[in-house]
Formats: sequence, C-alpha cells, structure tokens
Amino acid sequence: MNLFRSEAHARRWDGFNPKMAHAIKPIAEWADTFANPFFRERGRADYISWTRSDDGVAAFRALRSSLPLPADD
Amino acid sequence: MTDDGAPLQLLDRGYRAIMRQVVETATAPHFTALAAELAIPVEQARQLSHELVSITPGWMAPETDLFASFPPFNLQPTQYRVTVDGVGGWYAQCGLEATAVRWLFPGKTIRVEAPCLCCGEVMVVEMHDEEIVATEPAEIVGYTSDVIGGSAESRPFR
Repeated sequence: MNLFRSEAHARRWDGFNPKMAHAIKPIAEWADTFANPFFRERGRADYISWTRSDDGVAAFRALRSSLPLPADD
Repeated sequence: MTDDGAPLQLLDRGYRAIMRQVVETATAPHFTALAAELAIPVEQARQLSHELVSITPGWMAPETDLFASFPPFNLQPTQYRVTVDGVGGWYAQCGLEATAVRWLFPGKTIRVEAPCLCCGEVMVVEMHDEEIVATEPAEIVGYTSDVIGGSAESRPFR
C-alpha cells in the first residue's frame, strides 16, 4: 500500500499487479477511504469495544465494501 | 471477556495506553512498561500486546515481543516520514495509513514525506483535520497490489 508520484509511476513499479490496476486512485480518494470511522475513532478510550459495537461493525462493513478486490482472470 | 482472549475492558485500556504513547513519543511501550501502567502481571501484558497487534492490525518484530507496527504508525522506520506541526519522529505503516494519521492529531498539520518507489523522487502530502492541504506533485496516487488486510479469512479489520 504505497504512494507514487503518478499513475504511470505506479504502473512502472516492480510490484505492480495488473489484477489490481483499478486500485490506483488519487490520494484524495484513498484519504476518503481512510476517513472511515474505523480509522477516525482510534483515539477514543474504548476503541476496541467500539469496533465491536453496532456503529463499529457498520463502519467496518462500509470499509470492506469500499476496498478494491483483485480482478477476475 | 472475549472468546479466548483478554477481557474487553483490558483490551481497551491496553490499546489506549499504547496508542497514547505512540502519539506522544513516536515510541511504543515495552510490555513490562505496559504491565506497570495497567497494573497487570508482566506475562499478561506480553500476551495482551500480541493480542492487540493482531486486532489492530499491526505486527511484532519477528520472533520477538517488540512492537514493530501499530497502525497507522510504524515503530520501525518506513519511507513514510511524518511530522506533526513541524515535529518529526513518526513513521506511517504504509502510504494509505499515512492519510489516517491526522485523526490522532486533531487541529494539527500532518506532513508526510516519502520517496516514490518507482523513481525515488520525493512526494509530500499535507493534511489538517478534514482537509488535504497540499500534495506535491498534485498527481500523487495510492496503490495496493493486493487486497487490503490480506485474505478474507485473515483480514485484520475486525
């Protein structure tokens, strides 16, 4: 999970996986993904409990649905 | 009590203690220090440390009880150098988690500097709470070559 100067740089990287080409996104889009409450709430005193609450489970579900999966063969 | 791990309240206290120290000092506590802070036996603190990194998801340095990664931070240097209102010392676990560091420093400016893995040229991202203040160059992208969190069976965001 890395940053690159541009999409062309990401595609030229030795570790580039064509099946995950759709995971190349502007940093602002990834920043939105990592603004999910799962990340925002890390500073709370009851964070682990919160992750298992209804709100935490809902946040995790939304997060998972937003993460890219490998393309089919 | 969790199924076969530490009581939930202890997980909360342990997570809070570790995260507080990482945020304040860019270092993680040794489990003996964690034991003292939480007033629990040393062995329980060692086990708690391992349980918490498996949840968060972070990891220990291989074959040790020493924190290596506690997201969004890395305790070992990565290419993602983080400064907070101009003060350095932190590293992000990865380029994407770097964008989540800001939530632990409300009201402060987070600057991430990293070399591009393709060309080695430096990139800079500045964030302040909700706002991405600056990116240099403007075309910076994030990329993961695999499923974030690993396989579905072991996905750590739980």
